[in-house]
Amino acid sequence: MRLEKCWFCSSTVYPGHGIQFVRNDAKIFRFCRSKCHKNFKMKRNPRKVKWTKAYRRLHAKDMTQDSTFEFERKRNRPERYDRNLTENTLKAIKKIDKVRVDREARHHAMRMKGKKAKVQREAAKELEQSIHMVKAPAVLREDSSFTLPKIKVKASHQQAEENHPMEE
Amino acid sequence: MATTMTCNNFLSLQQRTFIQMRTNLKVVDNSGAKRVMCIQALKGKKGARLGDTIIASVKEAQPRGKVKKGDVVYGVVVRAAMQRGRCDGSEIKFDDNAVVLVNKQGEPIGTRVFGPVPHELRKKKHVKILTLAEHIA
Repeated sequence: MRLEKCWFCSSTVYPGHGIQFVRNDAKIFRFCRSKCHKNFKMKRNPRKVKWTKAYRRLHAKDMTQDSTFEFERKRNRPERYDRNLTENTLKAIKKIDKVRVDREARHHAMRMKGKKAKVQREAAKELEQSIHMVKAPAVLREDSSFTLPKIKVKASHQQAEENHPMEE
Repeated sequence: MATTMTCNNFLSLQQRTFIQMRTNLKVVDNSGAKRVMCIQALKGKKGARLGDTIIASVKEAQPRGKVKKGDVVYGVVVRAAMQRGRCDGSEIKFDDNAVVLVNKQGEPIGTRVFGPVPHELRKKKHVKILTLAEHIA
């Protein structure tokens, strides 16, 4: 039994799933499901299709180089069966998976760093510029409770006043 | 690519079927024939699949070969565009329909086989063809 990788999306193909297509030059393409197979028939390039692992690795959305990937390399020499070896391998698989998932989570966090601050800045800017779409400028000038106060008050007060226009 | 497909028209998705009477097949050995037309699929009401034997008529042949045009020969289907299920549950399919000419006893007439062949042939006892093959899928 061998767990293969789908040629299109790089997910694992378990036994009993998928189709393999053998081209006349003896190259074998394995697909995990008909979605990948149909995309292949449409001659789509997996490196350009956003949801595939090939695209994500190419555009640095996912980890590309890591020592945990070395463990999953294809080995063509069959190993002699040894109960201890099998037991240890199974334990190692669990641990390696955990490590890999942690590293991927960290990679994702690094990628998303600075997003919160950016979103806040953009929201504040939009509030300044487009408040006229919510309330007319004349009204804003008369009714001072809707403008952002220029005087620095205690932090809690300013928070309350700022939240008013945002709620609108 | 044999399958034609326009993105919006899923009706043009080709559904490949059996090898039956009047099916043209490519000959992938050096017996001399080039194209062969199936006249009977032995075993199988609907037609022959990957690994089955057929009776065929030679439509196109090389000038100096073991078979001539118009000969009625037996053949073993080694590549079929229709997918065949394997015993582990997966499916395999090839790019085209190809056949290797054999005699009545099942021994290949030619001495070489080109292209990949499936290992379903082992179960069907066509071991000779497997030994001649350059790649077993």
